[in-house]
Amino acid sequence: MKRMYQIYKTCMKANIASAITYRVNFILNSLIMLIGNVLFPLVTVFIYNSNASFEGWTFKEALLIQSVFILSTACAGIFFNGIMWNTMSHVVEGTLEVVLIKPTSSLFLLLARSFEFESIGLLGGGVVMFVYALSGIDGMTIGSWFLFLLLFGAGLLVMFGVALIVAAISFKWVANSRLPEMFESIKSFGRYPGTIFPKAVVAVSSFLFPVSMIAYFPASTLIGRWEAYFFIAIIPCALFAAFGIWLYTYMLRSYKSAGG
Amino acid sequence: MFEKIKHRFRVMRAVAFVTYKEWSAYRTHSMVSIFVGPVYFLVQYYIWSAVYSGESSINGMSLSQMLSYFCATMLINYLTMDFADWNLQMLIRTGKFITFSLRPMNHMFYALSQKAGHRVLGLLFEFIPCFMIFFFIFHIDVLPANLLYAMLSIAMAFMMNFFIHYSIGMVAFWMVQSSSIRNFFSLCEGIFSGSLIPLVFFPKSLQLASFFLPFQYTTFLPAMVYTGSYTLADITLPIPQVLLLQLVAVIIAGIVCRVLYAVSLKHFTGVGA
Repeated sequence: MKRMYQIYKTCMKANIASAITYRVNFILNSLIMLIGNVLFPLVTVFIYNSNASFEGWTFKEALLIQSVFILSTACAGIFFNGIMWNTMSHVVEGTLEVVLIKPTSSLFLLLARSFEFESIGLLGGGVVMFVYALSGIDGMTIGSWFLFLLLFGAGLLVMFGVALIVAAISFKWVANSRLPEMFESIKSFGRYPGTIFPKAVVAVSSFLFPVSMIAYFPASTLIGRWEAYFFIAIIPCALFAAFGIWLYTYMLRSYKSAGG
Repeated sequence: MFEKIKHRFRVMRAVAFVTYKEWSAYRTHSMVSIFVGPVYFLVQYYIWSAVYSGESSINGMSLSQMLSYFCATMLINYLTMDFADWNLQMLIRTGKFITFSLRPMNHMFYALSQKAGHRVLGLLFEFIPCFMIFFFIFHIDVLPANLLYAMLSIAMAFMMNFFIHYSIGMVAFWMVQSSSIRNFFSLCEGIFSGSLIPLVFFPKSLQLASFFLPFQYTTFLPAMVYTGSYTLADITLPIPQVLLLQLVAVIIAGIVCRVLYAVSLKHFTGVGA
């Protein structure tokens, strides 16, 4: 365990050092991510400015869902989303052997190398928006915060599962840089209040491809609108992540190289 | 003069054809849009259906106009999509750009020809299938209000997108890592092009500013021409005038891009390829 911690720390340091090599680029990128994500809910802002709304949701409640989505995306970006691009690049260039021969778990090593400091800007943008949206939410308790953290963690499991599934597919569907886009499009169902979608879509996004857990469910607990099925949906989230790990490990074992 | 144009056309056709063949090997990249486009549209459909519940019109647009608008922006994007900036900065950073000084054609024209070939692929594997899905499955009115006007506007959007992206790519002649500038530009493009939300939802001052920014000419304006009416900042223009406005914007962008190209070439130093 201590050895794994050391490896992870070394990879983190290497990523930070590499990010700050081009300081101006890094700072600008982080700032752009921050601004870009503060502007991300522009559609919601303009909808509410036009005297329209998502029925039953105040502006700040709708914004809270989107800020939680950004926070989740930021955490995924920092800790594990990079595995998609790293795996794709290793498979295309035939350099995965370099990872496979290392005397540690290949999945762990690839995850450690996926640490992406640049997404810190995204996290900053998410926090700013989250705090702003919270200013319009009343009646939060320690219990609702606890439930929020529990569901937020489950949402991260979904993000983790998605990252691993995309990375695993890239072993077979080589060099398709648009692969993540397919999953991104499905994730966009989790950015908005679930009440605007028909029941069938809510069922799919809760239990089959549980993207509602990324933002809608956690944010709803803070607002005090949680329902029992939110917690049942934690099970498919855990299964989703487990499936991602199994699929990635399976594809890793069946990987055949043409040399790098 | 005529011979020169004919020769250039032949060169463009040859480069476009080779690019088409090259990218055909990765046609599944384009075919991802057949899944992604309709899924994003479904999300938009539910969002706007919820927003319009009890409202017949918001900012002068009805729900059906809004849905047609989003379909039009997606379809137009498949025909005009551009990544000349990424390509150019990669060539400059790796030093491969130096090989273009040995070729009997400038890189800008070469990149434009490549884009033409690449977008033919977009037409076959993105535009046509998504058009069918929107029209036959979602029953959205995606037929252009006037085919000729729509084609002219899309052709100009194609050029506009190229000039903007190529100009941004030229930043790499001055900066080793230009991804931040490109990201900043993508951010502005995402907001001001109208692909997120129609520009009529913006505050009046930003709507007015959009006339002087290059972004609306790539998405919002052609989408409005496609759907048959154009209003921005309370200014309603007949479509021929809108096309004229777009033409002026494209000419200005073209001149700026050409001047930047000439200046950039003087600045370029190759370090091997």
